[in-house]
Parts: sequence; C-alpha cells; structure tokens
Amino acid sequence: MPPHQDSFRQPFLLRRSEWALALAIVVAVGLTALLDANHSYATRPLESLRDIARNTALLGIFALGATVVIIAGGIDLSAGSMIALSGTVCATTMLALAPVEMMGFKPVGPAVVAVACAASLLAGFLVGTLHSWLITSIGLPPFIATLATLVGLRSFARALCESATSALTPTKSALVNVADPFFKTVRDNVWIPVAVFGVLACITWLILTRTVLGRHIAALGGNEQAARLAGIRTENVKWFAYCFGAMTAALAGLFYVANESVAAPVNQGRGHELNAIAAAVVGGCSLAGGVGTVPGTVLGAIFLRVVIDAVSKIIKTGADVYEGLIVGIVVVMAVTLGQVGQMAKGGRKLLPGSLGLCAIPTLAILSGAIVSMTAGPRAGAAAAGASLVLLWLLRAWENSRTPASSM
Amino acid sequence: MNHHTHDSHDNHDVKKHAAPHAVCMRGITKRFPGVVALEDMSLDVRPGEFHAICGENGAGKSTLVNILSGVYQPDGGTLEIGGAVVRFASTRDAERAGVAIIHQELALVEELSVAANVFLGREKRTALGWIDDRAMAAECALLLDSLECRVAPDALTGHLRVGDQQLVEIAKALSLDASIVVMDEPTSALTESESARLERTIAKLLARGTTILYISHKMAEVFRLADRITVLRDGRHVRTVNRADTSPEEITGWMVGRKIADRPASGPRVRGKQLLEVRNLCLEWPEHPRGYRLADISLSLCANEILGVAGLMGAGRTELLETLFGAGQSNWTGDILLEGRRVRFLHPREACDHRIAMVSEDRKRLGLFPDLDVAGNVSVCALHEALHWGLLSRSGEDALVAGSVRQTGVKTSSLHAPMMGLSGGNQQKCIIGRWLLTRPDILLLDDPTRGIDVGAKAELYALIDQLCREGMGVILTSSELPELLSLADRIIVLAEGRLTAEFSRAEATEAKIMAAATG
Repeated sequence: MPPHQDSFRQPFLLRRSEWALALAIVVAVGLTALLDANHSYATRPLESLRDIARNTALLGIFALGATVVIIAGGIDLSAGSMIALSGTVCATTMLALAPVEMMGFKPVGPAVVAVACAASLLAGFLVGTLHSWLITSIGLPPFIATLATLVGLRSFARALCESATSALTPTKSALVNVADPFFKTVRDNVWIPVAVFGVLACITWLILTRTVLGRHIAALGGNEQAARLAGIRTENVKWFAYCFGAMTAALAGLFYVANESVAAPVNQGRGHELNAIAAAVVGGCSLAGGVGTVPGTVLGAIFLRVVIDAVSKIIKTGADVYEGLIVGIVVVMAVTLGQVGQMAKGGRKLLPGSLGLCAIPTLAILSGAIVSMTAGPRAGAAAAGASLVLLWLLRAWENSRTPASSM
Repeated sequence: MNHHTHDSHDNHDVKKHAAPHAVCMRGITKRFPGVVALEDMSLDVRPGEFHAICGENGAGKSTLVNILSGVYQPDGGTLEIGGAVVRFASTRDAERAGVAIIHQELALVEELSVAANVFLGREKRTALGWIDDRAMAAECALLLDSLECRVAPDALTGHLRVGDQQLVEIAKALSLDASIVVMDEPTSALTESESARLERTIAKLLARGTTILYISHKMAEVFRLADRITVLRDGRHVRTVNRADTSPEEITGWMVGRKIADRPASGPRVRGKQLLEVRNLCLEWPEHPRGYRLADISLSLCANEILGVAGLMGAGRTELLETLFGAGQSNWTGDILLEGRRVRFLHPREACDHRIAMVSEDRKRLGLFPDLDVAGNVSVCALHEALHWGLLSRSGEDALVAGSVRQTGVKTSSLHAPMMGLSGGNQQKCIIGRWLLTRPDILLLDDPTRGIDVGAKAELYALIDQLCREGMGVILTSSELPELLSLADRIIVLAEGRLTAEFSRAEATEAKIMAAATG
C-alpha cells in the first residue's frame, strides 16, 4: 500500500455529509424565501425564526436521546408515549400537591413546579430502567420492548390522568389544564427551549466524543459481543442509553405541556418517536448501531423542521396535513443520496428488472397525486407524466451502461 | 500423483479440443476505493484439473473468487468460461454458467432444512405449483449419500457441524451440475477426519470431470491434491507451476516475496513462578447427550511459559479459555486459583481487573469494532489511562495507541485509518495490542493465527515468544499442530471436553497429539 498522509484525522468541525446537510438547510430556507407568495421570511423574519426554532428545539431534545440509543445499537419507539406520560405525571403531581390552585387556574408556586418537573424526569429514569431491564435481563429485542411501552405508556398515562382527576377534582377528565406562570413563561419565551436544546446537545456531544462512556456506547453499538469480551459492562451502558433516551423525552414532555398549557395524554406527542428517529437517521445515524453524531442529529432536526415549514409556507394548507409525508420523503431521500455514490460504484441500479419497471408508475402516481392535491389536477397530471418520462429515461440510461446479463 | 488426476486427464483429453480452458482470465483488474485488489490478472485453468491458488491475505484471492462468482464485476479485462466470454451481473449468472462457489464463510440459511438450502432459489414444484418438499428431500438424500454425509435432508442446517454444512454447500454445487467448483479455504474449520472426507469428495468430483479451483493457505493439502499451483501476491499473478516442479518452500517464498524460517528461533525460556492453577474444572452442557462441555480439567501455568492447548473442533478449547476469562457460562464447578487465591469471574471485566487478557478466536465477530478507527479499537480497554480532567484526551489516547502499535508491529497508514481496511494479520496485532495495554500477567490466545497470512504469522510467533520472555504466562490454542509444537513449552490435549494427555516440548510429536486428540 502506498504511504500517504494522515488523511483520517477528525474532519474540520463537521463531516462531509453534515456539511451537505447544512447546505441543504440553507437551500431550503432560500427556496422558501423565494417561493413563498406572502414572503413571510422577509416581512416577519423573527416570527418565522421563532416558529422554526421552537419546533426544532422540541424535536431536537428527544432526538438527542434517540441518537444515543441508536448509536448504542438499540431503538426507542416509546418516546412519544413518554412525552405524554411525562406531561401527565407533571400535571397530576401539581394537582395532587396544590389542587385548589390548579382548579382555580392560579399559580401553584415554584416548589410545587420543581417537584412536579423532578417527578417527570424520575418517571423518565424509571421507564429507561424498565426498558434496559426488559432488554438485558429478560432478553427482549429492543424493538419489542419499546413497542410494548409505546402502546402501554400512553394508556397508562391516560389511566393515571383519569384516576387522578376523579380522585382530586369533581369530574373525571382525560386532560389537566396547566396555568402556572412558570409554564406560561416557558411558552412565551421561545429561547428557553432553544437554550435547553443547545446545552443538552453540548452535553450529549461531550459524552459521546470525550468520555469513556461515550466510546463504550459506540463500541457496544458496533459489536456487542466484542464489547463484552473487552471487559465493558454492556448492560450498564445500555441502562444509561435507554435512561438518557427516556429522560430527554420526559424533558420534552414538560415543554409540550408548557406549549399547549395542558397535559393531554391521549394525543400529546403521538407519533413523535418516529420524527426523532427520522432526525437521527437524516443526520447520519445507522440503525445498525455504532454510527452517528450529535451535530448530525441537530442538523437533521433543523432540516426536517425547515422543510416542514417550507411546505406549509409554500402550500397554504395546514402543515400538519403534510408533515408525515414530508418526514417520510426526507428520510428516504437523505438515506438514498448517502448511498448513491456507493450504488454507482457497486454497479447497483435504482430501477432494476421488473421491480424497477413497476416502481416507475408507482412513483409517478405518487408524485402526480401529491402535486394534484397541492397545486391542482392539471399540474398533477403534468408531474405524473414528467416523472414517468424521467424515470423511464433513467432506467434506459442505467441499462445502457451495464448490460443486464450476458447469459 | 493421485489416481483421480489420471482419470480426469484421460476424461478430458477428448474435451480439450472443444473447450481449451475451463476458466480463462485475461487482464482482469478490480479496484476498490484506495486499493487495487487485482491488477492485470491472467489465469488459465484446464478442464478437469485441480488448480490450487495460494497467496497471503490481501493477495487478491477473495476478489478473484468474487469475480468468478459474479459478486463483483471487474473494472477491466475479460473472463471466459469454457471458451465463451461472460460478464456475470450476479451470482445467478455464474451458477447458470456452471460455476459454483463454496465460500469460506458458508452462505447457508441456518433456519431452513438441508434440502431447502440445496434447492434455495431453484425449488422444485408440484404440478399445482406448490413447493415439492418430498422430491427435493429425495434428491437431496441421494446427493448427500454420494458425499458420505450422514445427515437427514429435513435436518435444520443451523444444527449441523461445520464440516457437514460444507458438504451441504457441495451438494448444492452438485445439484447445480456445476462444471467448475471454486473452494475458498474449505478446510479452515474442519477436523482431520472431515478434511479427509472432503478430499474423498474432491476425488469423486474430479472423476466426474469437474474442474476445481482450490484456494488454500495449507501447503500440505495443496501439495497432496493439486495438479497445478498459481501464486498471487499483492493482487498480481506471480506464477503458475506444475505441482511436480516445485516445493512448499518455493511456493511460500513466492507468496511472501521472501524466504521465511519455518519455525521461530527461540532459545529455551526459564519458567517463572506459578500464576494460575485449575483443579477439576467441570462445565455442564445439559442440552447435549454428552452432558458436559468440560470434564475434570486440571492444569497449571507459570510466568514465562506458553501452555499449548491442542484439540479438534468441539473439543472444548474455546470453552476452557472462556471459563477462565469469565466470558462463558458461570455454572462451572472446580477451582480456579490465581497465584493461590480462588477466583470466580462472572464477567470479563473481573478477569481484566485480575490482569487476565483474552484474544478471541473469531476476530470479526468477537474482537473488532468495525465503526471505530484503529486507535479506537486498540485503546478500548485502557481508555482510563487517557483521561484528562475526566475527559478523554485525544493526544493521550494517540500516545497510548502509538506505543502499542509500535510494540506489536502493526502496519497502518494512520492511527485513525478505518479498522476494516487493515489486513487480517494487522487486525489481530491490533487486538493483541489492545490487551497488552492492560499489562496482563496472563494472556489467553484462542487460535490467534487463524486466517492470517504466513508472514504475519511469523511476526506473531516472535511477538508471543517475546512477551513470554518478559514474564507473561500464555495459554495458546491452535488448529495447527506445528504452531503449537514450535511455540509451546507444554501441550495439553483435549478430546470431547476431557483432558487426555499432557506433553512437554521435548516429548510432543504431531502423531502423539493426534492420537490423544482423537482418543
């Protein structure tokens, strides 16, 4: 092998894929500024920024938890339900400690708020402990263990809410209103969640890159058996990872309660676990474990929220209608683009054989349907036709480059 | 000359006119990012011959196999099979052209039955289109029978021994009616008797006129079987010679590009104080008819001593080392004494804390962290020494790793190069270096030279010898007897979980050890 310089040093600040993601964020913001008919980025820049920052911070906080779990080679599907449970624990604790003030929408006092928030974080710790016990001691696959808590915790949160309200208030209810000024301040001051997100990101980054624990997390995710044989107490490392995942979700749950001034276990945080995993994956985490960075996840979360914001600004319908679709498309695109180089080198094709043939109309129908719903049927038909032609050309080009088979 | 080679030549003198070469490569080149795996490779394989391919790890043997089997597409050059130019886009294409590959790492679906594996992707169907298990089992039984493989077609493949799994792969090749069978180090995980059975199978294949391309490190079997031998080095073809015109020394010389001493030059070592004593160690195995993995093992180890553990596959070598290291099951009985004090480790961590280190047998599965760089792989057990104010210090870690890499002689372009880019020998040195950073008193080496090329092996022998001279006690297992005979001061032999013999260096011979290992 030829001797060459030390080209394997840590890259400057970010890895190449992360610089690309940062660039993609800038491009998305630029496109929105151009294409938005109301020019809201130009006319109300602060409001737009605040909106994106709040959403990014809320997503980012528990996406950091998902990142740690994923790097450790696991998966936590329960973050959304943990958000609901955390909010409910917080609200019912306040209800129990100060029922009169809570029912009268009056301040409950800083001590009660502190106890309630601590109770939520403790709930996160307990759920994380439960996860790692199920996974390491019982031997459940992480997917199964956290799938069980995904459905179980939300139901548990609702039952907790209903039994607490029926015991402490005149009527049974599936939500608890939270009117304490502490939560109002958090809601009105967007920089609080952003600051918390920033500090948490720095702490997570330090843990992952500069501590023995962080190295052990990467080793565990890369090769669990080798990690154990290297003398790493893998069960303790997992315990940390799942607790970190659940506690960041619990922290995010407190911000959701503040934002919506209510703890609503039925719907709060529903489906958010998948957004967190998506942010981590867009940021470069591998679900096989061992791979991922904090800057990647932070950029992934920003990118997701910027694109969602862009679509809601450009298409004047509710952003929440298209949110899932956008997340889905962004994840597929991010992971595909990361592989295109490898695919070309390995001689792999995007549209091979009869599966590729069927994929062409599938993709054309999908794009046609999306465009016609957002920009009218005529544009939709045009989009469908254009995708059909483009994909067909791509397939023809791929086939001309490498003959399918000589046989 | 073997009888079968005569047969095959006779058979094929007729065919030769139609198809001059079974395989013909002309100027095949394959590049990977940063490496040229094969360069301008030309190779002719005659129909019906047994053609051995030798080379160190990284010489390009696996790339060659992968090109022949359609896994990789060459960047340049042409490949002819039976005189026709082919371009394989997938393994399917290669199978259709009559090329079957027995990979080093077997490619069987462990959850399926033997018959299902043999016919995987080409399942037989009934007239109604349902899957026809009966017909497949019947045909599979015939195939297995012809291979002396006493395995039921409906047995679960994952439950078979490695040797039988390999025969299942060969049965698959037979059912494909392959005219060319490529075997990639097929005996690396076989016992002696399984290897002998494989050789008989090979003789049968040759008698049917099958061409065999055989990739191997082991000079003994290459010289027993081959008609011609091709040597590769650094992705290039060095030369192809008739077996009769060469010698093992010459071949290994071409493989490494220099002559190597067969055995490390090691003067006598002076045995130090006793480090470890094991008395009546038993390890249960409830789900197995034998009932135990280890029975009544007693041994001792001193400083400055290498204790060799010989035994066939499944004899309990790995289980013994894992028990000593706290990495196996904890339901063992007996006594393990470290410098006279009784210990029972429930986790490898505890063994590390008592200055015991273990290099596991399966490097890829049990040793490497593929996502960490070289430095991360080496420093993982000694990170606490690179802390500065509680945080990892990059420079501290680099210094630690640099020292270890120098000591073990790892060749890498950078401490931060990706681990998987190193050759097998260098990866193994990194893992040994990882453990040396913990400054162990006792080093357990489980088949440390498996899958490592000749040059790196010699360097590892020298390193082990030197560590031992510096006061370490080493327990070494190996599948290769010459290795044990040249390195170990004493050799114990395990057979089916029992200790059947102990020899001093002077007493031990291959014949005596084999007798004890099979008895």
